Amino acid sequence: MSSRKRRRCYKDVKCVFFPDDVVNKVRREAPSLSSASKSWETCGDSFVDTPVIKNLKTPGRKQSEIRKSPASVQTSAGKEDPVHIAWSSSDSEQSGDETQEQQEPPQRPPGRPTAPLQSYTRALRMLRTEREDLPAIDTDSDLDECEEDAEEDSGQQISDCQSESFDERQEDPSLRPTDMTELEISGYVSDGEDVDVTSASSRPDSPPQTAEGSKRSVSGWVRSAQAMLQTPQKPQSARQSKTPEDSAKKRRKFQSGGLAERLNRLQCRQRSAVSFWRHQSISDTSTTTATVDRPGVLLLEVLEVQEECSVQLAHCEHRPPPGAGHQHRKPLSEGPARVLVVFNRETAAQLIPATGDIVHIYPPWQRLSIEGFRCDVILNTHFSQKVDSANHLRGVSAPRGLLSAERCNPSSLCQTFGLLEGCRTTAESDAKQVAASGSLTSGVLARHCVSLLEAIEGLGQAGSVGQDVEVVVQRVYSIPVPHCSPVSILKPRLPSRSPSAAPPPPPPEKGKTRLCVLVQDSYGTFSVVQLHFLPRQDDLHQYCHKWRGRTCLLRGIKVVQRVTRERSTRLFSLIDSLWPPVMPLKDHGNTPSMCSGSRSAGAAPSFCYLLSGQESSVEPAEEQTVSPLYLPPTKQTLQDILQSERQTCRCSFVATVLYKRNMQSGDVGQGEVWLVLTDPSLQEPERPRRRTVALCVSTSCALTSCVLEALNSPAACRMSFTDAIREHGVLLCVEQSVVEMCSVGPDLTSSSRPESPSLPEARAETPPQPVRLDPLSPEITPNSVCSLSGVIVGVDETTAYSWPACNLCGSDNLEMFPERPSNIRCVSCKSSVDKPDTRVQLDVFLSSSLTNCTLKVKLQQKTIASILNTAALEGQEFPGYDVENVLGREVGPLAAYVRVVTRTPALWIGLEEICL
Amino acid sequence: MRSFLPAVAEQLFRDIQQTHQETSQIPDDLLIALKFVFGPCALQALDLVDQHSVTCLSSPSGRKAFQVIGGSGRLYTCFVSCHYCPCPAFAYTVLRRNEGLLCKHILAVYLCRATGGTQQESVSDQQMSALLGGTAAP
Repeated sequence: MSSRKRRRCYKDVKCVFFPDDVVNKVRREAPSLSSASKSWETCGDSFVDTPVIKNLKTPGRKQSEIRKSPASVQTSAGKEDPVHIAWSSSDSEQSGDETQEQQEPPQRPPGRPTAPLQSYTRALRMLRTEREDLPAIDTDSDLDECEEDAEEDSGQQISDCQSESFDERQEDPSLRPTDMTELEISGYVSDGEDVDVTSASSRPDSPPQTAEGSKRSVSGWVRSAQAMLQTPQKPQSARQSKTPEDSAKKRRKFQSGGLAERLNRLQCRQRSAVSFWRHQSISDTSTTTATVDRPGVLLLEVLEVQEECSVQLAHCEHRPPPGAGHQHRKPLSEGPARVLVVFNRETAAQLIPATGDIVHIYPPWQRLSIEGFRCDVILNTHFSQKVDSANHLRGVSAPRGLLSAERCNPSSLCQTFGLLEGCRTTAESDAKQVAASGSLTSGVLARHCVSLLEAIEGLGQAGSVGQDVEVVVQRVYSIPVPHCSPVSILKPRLPSRSPSAAPPPPPPEKGKTRLCVLVQDSYGTFSVVQLHFLPRQDDLHQYCHKWRGRTCLLRGIKVVQRVTRERSTRLFSLIDSLWPPVMPLKDHGNTPSMCSGSRSAGAAPSFCYLLSGQESSVEPAEEQTVSPLYLPPTKQTLQDILQSERQTCRCSFVATVLYKRNMQSGDVGQGEVWLVLTDPSLQEPERPRRRTVALCVSTSCALTSCVLEALNSPAACRMSFTDAIREHGVLLCVEQSVVEMCSVGPDLTSSSRPESPSLPEARAETPPQPVRLDPLSPEITPNSVCSLSGVIVGVDETTAYSWPACNLCGSDNLEMFPERPSNIRCVSCKSSVDKPDTRVQLDVFLSSSLTNCTLKVKLQQKTIASILNTAALEGQEFPGYDVENVLGREVGPLAAYVRVVTRTPALWIGLEEICL
Repeated sequence: MRSFLPAVAEQLFRDIQQTHQETSQIPDDLLIALKFVFGPCALQALDLVDQHSVTCLSSPSGRKAFQVIGGSGRLYTCFVSCHYCPCPAFAYTVLRRNEGLLCKHILAVYLCRATGGTQQESVSDQQMSALLGGTAAP
């Protein structure tokens, strides 16, 4: 309680920056402190922002001491004397008490209870009587500098260095209104704290400051004073309107459990998030470069600013973090380079974004993807900070007003938002709906439509498609249900530490997948329809059989999104594989976007729709024949795929999985899986380019349980891969890819239509045994398999060890019989182990035909046994091995999995012997 | 100059609608975003949604209009095809100052549509024409 008040006083002292501030301040002081005001007058010319009241007690103090900034006074307070420590035992607030002593205003601004405070200061004064010869405060330590910097800079960097006292400084935000944090935070001030409004409103805005300013020079002050004079005053009304509590003052009770109540609570939480966030940033006190490293901070360069409805929208480009040089202007390669940042009125007023500015936006910001927009929109930009003003860069000191943003004309009142018409949510009451319907949409409803474009664009906006649309189902696949809600495009970017972070979404049900179909209408337009959850993953097969290649009616679907090629390249690689269509398409006639009659020569579509529906939304047409528009996946041989010239393409093939490796621990299917594949075309005696090929099954590819089962078993298996992606020479299974176990019959994909004949049926379906592998070559890539032979030239002794294992089941979970310590029992197979096997882990360095290359191979037991003395391994006690005997032994050819390839400074390949 | 804010608002409504259809609620992040885009209006509009203050009136001829019961109990008629509300905030903030896209009543209409919380009511053609003509307050 008392510490809180003390901090307030501290703030009063601390925020004095200008001579007129001082006057204001002093006016509030008691008459007994008139000497303080006198001393203020004496030093007023020098723009000193010092709490001088201390002079009352230390009259002999030099003027130079007075020239200390409040921040340095604050820091030095901690070092003062034992008396302070005595007090700090009751209150950990270090800075507070000292500044309290300095101020001790007997007369407080109205509304503040002062009595306890005064007694406290009286007590302090008594304690301080013998402290006349204090060490001078102007012992300029680095810390002081640091604090001072932060004091000055916090206008731009929100990394307020004194979180505790900062809290209180909010009371008087417009003392330093460029301090954007402060303004923002002032939005979270609770009622009754807005004490200094009157004095604040008389003060003009302080100038924009740059992060570079490490010390406040006189010239800097002059400059800022100039800027101050030119910056328009912030109207009082604007200031008041920004505190949420203004609405809260007239707040009535919100409905319990309602949305308003929840938002209100969220606002409060956001407020506490602010203070927590402030707390976090104590550590990185000053330099802006330090704050940049924090996760989730957006570094943006403002390209253009416009004002719309009192918010400012800044077109920004991502900037690489500083340190990579200062002249870079190119955007980061990853992620969308441009974003549209929305600053609300308060943020914009502080930030004054202008072309060329560098702005940092700290979490929690939100990203909103808008249909049809190239760039994402950044919302919730409460913590934005200008680190590099364009004016500063150009050496221009003229301040810019709020008018720097071009103002948009008011948007048309006719431009409504698409929800009002057309879409009727199911939650509406049925009884009343009878009266409502029959008005706007009737007459269109019954029509049967053959064009997705017409049906969807005819709606004008997102909503449900009332008509039945005739389409051909080109592909059926399933996607794993994403961790977050599939529809919310908002991605909150909150550090996990933040208390305001939305509660994590419930973990997805393991293996839950959603059925999807890729459909095409007779005009060539594609759409992805997301259907129901598959109760069992293996049901996909059934839907494939029922729908794929057939003409179906889409019924009761809703438009989720219009997807463009730029934003969904993977999906469009699948669409490209279905292009050009096998039959001439219909022509939309006067629809300009679809005008060409012979579409086969035209370019593939650049957009498609993402629709959602239920199981009943796809209804096969009566006839049981395959549509002529259906283009089945062409099964190729791996040899054909490897020889393909195209950089990115979809491909389908049947292959034998020789080896599988899980990137995460746990079962296959939990994370990325790397498969090593081969097929007869790669095993032919005449040498193909490669013998095996690696394929990555990403987590976005839904695997059916029988595929997972097969992948978890050690045996080699044949699988059919449909619509895998070959991207930059790597094979990937992603969202739209389907992995199936190969059935025995020739109908590999369970389609009623015979598959492409490019894979001759006559060819041997399984590769020969043993499988031929590529020899190790310098070009080898990680996650591939090769054959390897060489001479052991070294042993990694640090990783070599041995352990006993059950000779029956191989388990290493052994235990000793307590009664007979010589006997050992296997916990796994519950049998008594007389002669346990000795397992050895051994990593060796090989010299092979590859020169200038280090090969480290983790060997398997059988190879180790052949290298070491076999008899020794069978003994009860493994006596160890003699390195001399191991060196020079030849091993191989071994099948080895390439784990790591390092090419600099010299080629270094880490391998693991595997058993195929 | 191209205007972006309406698109942002529209996408928010769309997200709210879709999420609400799937989960029957509006997640916190969308509420926060709503507050960010619409300011204090958002809280008041959500309160109106909570109070079921939005009614969609339809007449046999197929005309529709929305009626919102304001916080003071006054009825405001908003239109389907354009943004208009007879409330003072609309006249001042939206029309005169161009400081907001919508007033809380229109925002409440959108939010009610998105969450399916609109009350439905049929009126006669005569009532509707009086309503749209501004000559009656049913």
